[in-house]
Amino acid sequence: MLCQLCGQREATVHFKEVINGVTRELHLCEVCAEKEGFLSKSFPLPDFSLPSLITGLTEFDTVLPKKEKKCPGCGLSYTQIEKKGKMGCSLCYQTFEEYISPLLEKIHGRVLHRGKVPRRGKMRSKIERQLYQLRQELDKAVKKEEYERAAKLRDKIKKLQKDENFPTTN
Amino acid sequence: MKIFQQLINSPSQWIKEEGPEANIVFSSRVRLARNIQGFVFPPWASNSELKKVSTEILEAAGKSKYFKVSSVIDMEKLSFLERRFLLERHLISDEFVDNGKYRFLVATEGEIISLMINEEDHLRLQSILPGLQLMEAWKLSDKVDNDLEEYLNYAFSPQRGYLTSCPTNVGTGMRASCMIHLPSLVATNRIRDVLKGVSQLGLITRGLYGEGTSSRGDFFQISNQVTLGLKEEQILNSVERVTRRVVEEEKRAREVLLKNNSAKIKDEIGRAYGILTNAYLISSEEALQLLSKIRLGIGLGFLSGLKIGILNELFILIEPAQIQIMEGKSLNPFSRDRTRAKIIKEKLTIHPPGQMHGCMDV
Ligand SMILES: [Zn+2]
Ligand SMILES: [Zn+2]
Repeated sequence: MLCQLCGQREATVHFKEVINGVTRELHLCEVCAEKEGFLSKSFPLPDFSLPSLITGLTEFDTVLPKKEKKCPGCGLSYTQIEKKGKMGCSLCYQTFEEYISPLLEKIHGRVLHRGKVPRRGKMRSKIERQLYQLRQELDKAVKKEEYERAAKLRDKIKKLQKDENFPTTN
Repeated sequence: MKIFQQLINSPSQWIKEEGPEANIVFSSRVRLARNIQGFVFPPWASNSELKKVSTEILEAAGKSKYFKVSSVIDMEKLSFLERRFLLERHLISDEFVDNGKYRFLVATEGEIISLMINEEDHLRLQSILPGLQLMEAWKLSDKVDNDLEEYLNYAFSPQRGYLTSCPTNVGTGMRASCMIHLPSLVATNRIRDVLKGVSQLGLITRGLYGEGTSSRGDFFQISNQVTLGLKEEQILNSVERVTRRVVEEEKRAREVLLKNNSAKIKDEIGRAYGILTNAYLISSEEALQLLSKIRLGIGLGFLSGLKIGILNELFILIEPAQIQIMEGKSLNPFSRDRTRAKIIKEKLTIHPPGQMHGCMDV
């Protein structure tokens, strides 16, 4: 089903509202849902509650065939991206890393950036590295079912994101 | 459309002025691709997303000191002819000509710096300078980029660099190119080998109007292919170094032509001048071919009264959309050929060449 607002991306967020006794159904993509205020946190991890994180992980990693998994930023699958030859959003680079990496190697003969870094990016990179490490630890904690530790790491990540008020890239 | 009129009335500064190696190098251009964090890339974006991101970028440009005197053009409001006009002036790409909503061009006075908003990427920033000045063009783009970044949150990853719609642009997001005029390499049939050598060095060669076009008027473009894994300066150095080598090849070919065929070259240049200043009707193809000879003639020092800048201007002015926009109406091919002949005659006789003489202008 396509999103009712933009009509472009797959609807992945579904709501039922009851207003004055009338039931209304809403089917939105994550981008529109976030814009409309239906998601508290925007991508990359829309909902950070522990159970959804775990199901989120299994959903992304095992249930869906990899090319069909949807980018949380734009809702596109790699099959769609491949067909058009254009990435959907900045998160696609990370979401479809396993396809992008060999592609970049083929196009550029290299895969890592060595050029200019935006001034804000310089600060952001540092925080991103921390975030990345924390997320890795969180992954491990979840896999080992150390939920208390995971909850603490989750709070740390949230705080880091909020404190710096950085929109999350990668 | 008042803003568009301004653009018509102010000729591109980079075309008229003469830069280093002006006899052979027409222009140097550095284009940067940037996207805004949190927005879907243009090829996939909805109209409301395009609208939102274009508003953000236009606001940023409005605050930037580099765009104090500039024109903002809503592509949707232009006719096909007007869009072709901008393409012929090297302000927009082929892709941008095919209209769409919420696509904007911002161009500074003199058209040295310009922005395409919502082309394939949210932002394409271009600096273009006359002659061989790639580093200067980069410095300009770099400064404008830094300034815009004060107001925009670019999509950037420490591993992949600036994130772009197409993976071929990711990393630096930079395309550096030089437009060069190589009539003698064409005349001596050496052009194929030289261009092959260029592509073997990992660079791209193209015709006058970018991707997929054949060379017209003996103009070629050299640009980088790789955008990821190298520093901007490394990329620029390689494009500039290779361009210099091609320039040397062209100079050598000119010497050879002069040495072996001096009379024939002089005859060709003289005839070209004769036709261009006397023709009553001329097609753009014939005009390009003959103007190329005149441009070569100036480089060889034969037409001392004529300036390269005027020739460069003519190469643009004789294009179909330029002629029709300047005349203020659409013309059939016959009237276009008539008007073209008039424009050329005017430009070449206002600045009459001196006596033809044989000394080389090195
Ligand atoms: Zn939507
Ligand atoms: Zn995406």
